[in-house]
Amino acid sequence: MIFKKNISSLHVPHNKNTAGSVPVPVSAPREVVLPMNMQSGHEAVPVVNVGDHVYLGQLIAKEEGRASSPVHASVSGTVTEIAPIRLAGDREVLAIRIENDGKMERHPDMKAPVVTNLDEFLEAVRNSGVVGLGGAAFPVWAKLDAVRNNEIETILVNGAECEPYITSDHRMMLDRSDLVVRGVNLMKEHMKVPRVVIAIENNKQDAIDKMKELFRDDPAVEIYPLETVYPQGAKQVLLYNVTGKVVKGGQRMASLGVLIINVSSVAKLAEYIETGMPLVDRIVTVDGSAVKEPKNLIVPIGTPIRHLLNEVEMKAEPGKILIGGPMLGHAITELDSPVIKATNAILAFEEKDSIDLEASSCIRCGRCMANCPVGLNVVGIERAMAKKDEDERAAALTKLGLKQCIECACCSYVCPAHRPILARNLEGKEFLKKYNAAKKEGGK
Amino acid sequence: MSQLHVSAAPHIHSGNATNKIMRDVIIALLPASVASVVLFGMQALVIIAACVASAVVFELLFCKLVKKPSTIGDLSAVVTGLLLALNLSTNVPVWQCVVGSAFAIVIVKCLFGGLGHNIVNPAIAARVFMLVAFSQVAGGAACVLTDATTQATPLEVLAPGAEEAPSLAELFLGTHGGAIGETCALALLLGFAWLLIRKVIRWHVPVVFIGTVFVLYLVTTGDVYYAAQQILAGGLFLGAIFMATDYVTAPVNFRGRLVFAFGCGLITFAVRQFFAYPEGVSFSILFMNLLTPLIEEWTDKEPLGGV
Repeated sequence: MIFKKNISSLHVPHNKNTAGSVPVPVSAPREVVLPMNMQSGHEAVPVVNVGDHVYLGQLIAKEEGRASSPVHASVSGTVTEIAPIRLAGDREVLAIRIENDGKMERHPDMKAPVVTNLDEFLEAVRNSGVVGLGGAAFPVWAKLDAVRNNEIETILVNGAECEPYITSDHRMMLDRSDLVVRGVNLMKEHMKVPRVVIAIENNKQDAIDKMKELFRDDPAVEIYPLETVYPQGAKQVLLYNVTGKVVKGGQRMASLGVLIINVSSVAKLAEYIETGMPLVDRIVTVDGSAVKEPKNLIVPIGTPIRHLLNEVEMKAEPGKILIGGPMLGHAITELDSPVIKATNAILAFEEKDSIDLEASSCIRCGRCMANCPVGLNVVGIERAMAKKDEDERAAALTKLGLKQCIECACCSYVCPAHRPILARNLEGKEFLKKYNAAKKEGGK
Repeated sequence: MSQLHVSAAPHIHSGNATNKIMRDVIIALLPASVASVVLFGMQALVIIAACVASAVVFELLFCKLVKKPSTIGDLSAVVTGLLLALNLSTNVPVWQCVVGSAFAIVIVKCLFGGLGHNIVNPAIAARVFMLVAFSQVAGGAACVLTDATTQATPLEVLAPGAEEAPSLAELFLGTHGGAIGETCALALLLGFAWLLIRKVIRWHVPVVFIGTVFVLYLVTTGDVYYAAQQILAGGLFLGAIFMATDYVTAPVNFRGRLVFAFGCGLITFAVRQFFAYPEGVSFSILFMNLLTPLIEEWTDKEPLGGV
């Protein structure tokens, strides 16, 4: 068993500079680029051709295969290109380019889907194109589908938003609380789930108050204020801190009777069911030390990142640009990369905040281990990674439980020797994956 | 936008650094250093200067010799030199201080790969080495605030009800013979407070170490006053606060550190009670240093979610 109630413990500066910034629509981008894979599953397949006219919200690529999700036109205009592009993390993916006609014209026949039972509800969620908007990007229908084969007792709505700077979910809870309520009620009604918990870090008291007020007459919905400690929003951490449950190796969370879904995803699926408008835009926080006036923007999916940076006033030449938060985000150089469904922030940092710290010898202070939410033997893993023999290395890493690493970066953040611990853990996980795949192959 | 940096996450850092931690340890040792000069005179300052300077110079020379970038900027050599000095009495000649520093830095630390790679605490190992090589390190000198010219260390005269043993007040303030930095418990506790405030260490290791010794004396003698004298006498506070908490040579996991501290207390008691040497703190830490890899293995726990 575990000894403490709260397994996240790290205090990082919040820098929630945009908490009071009501999202405003970004000016119309000249064109949008919509990748066929913005989630963690299979690519969607285009159903339009170059030269076609498309309406806002029109299906342009249908889902295909496991954990896939449909893609919809985020502007009205003309398809100009269907070709591979490179996404952050060097992933190559097919993308549809649409020239914006600036009219934001919906299809005249667009209407809300009819939802009267579970099948129709899940079908609607699937057609909405909504994926995990907190960063994981797993298609929401695939997650909710687990209700068919599992006894789901609790839906945990994740409004923790523990990453510094980002206030995208926070603003969704404040400005579109109607959609959050609607989404929660839809899930309760059609999935027959007895309990919904909305978990929000207590640095967002206004959101907590708002949700409490809106659900005050509903005993099935609990608003759960979380201590503001990173990484409160990581799903294993959230699950444990709220319910005391632990996902064991090889287990799925649904088998514990719990589903975790991001709060913005809840709002967006409600929006589709209410209006028929699928996921075509999202709130993106634009902030960072190089930004003079940070903002929350409502951005059509597929808008080039450069376009967002042009929307805010800079105070310095950026030395580093991130997609996502400073703990988990990716540094990018290709500013023509599009905002995708899971892009919750674009951060620009000044040169002085962009330089890597030089690593020195581990002094075995144990801060990495004391701050690891899952209690990994981080120092042991580093030692195991140094083993030359691949069999020995794989055995040691397996024994240490490296696969339980939730990649929250607390270890690297606290290391006084500035060692790239997270990067090494990721390297170790990648190695284990390849090693085990090769073993399986050889075993056949 | 010209050159954008690309690096792995995370992109922010706590701001902590090895040399900041070492600087805090040095600050925490300042009260004991000042007390040593007050209690033992200018010779204490000479010893501190000799140990610190030679420790830094030896590390610099070693780096030059093996053509590595200098590591003296991490301040760990200063900490080692200072700790060694505080473990010696004013009776120790300067040349022996220099030899001790050389042993600590070159043999114990640098030859094992430098900071983070040494198996035993350099200052402790050097103190034990000097005890063997020169027969006396902590004894012989008298506190300059008293009339005596030589004083026995408290542990040499301490027994339940012993008349000649220092009182608790004398032990707390350190107005008696011994190593220059070990006698003043008050100064060491001030340093302890600094380490806690700066979150350099947690309270558990010193408290378990000292508490174990106290409880063992209390249980075996039933004499609270005597048990209190025992924990204040000798190098227990200095060792428990500053050397048993050395990151490098103690277990890296919290549970392991508790076991380590308990073992230190047990061995300290055993040496003081049953061995020919009056003091056992150095031996206990040295021995537990060697057990560290085993303790880590015994106390390793499964991560959340299993392996």
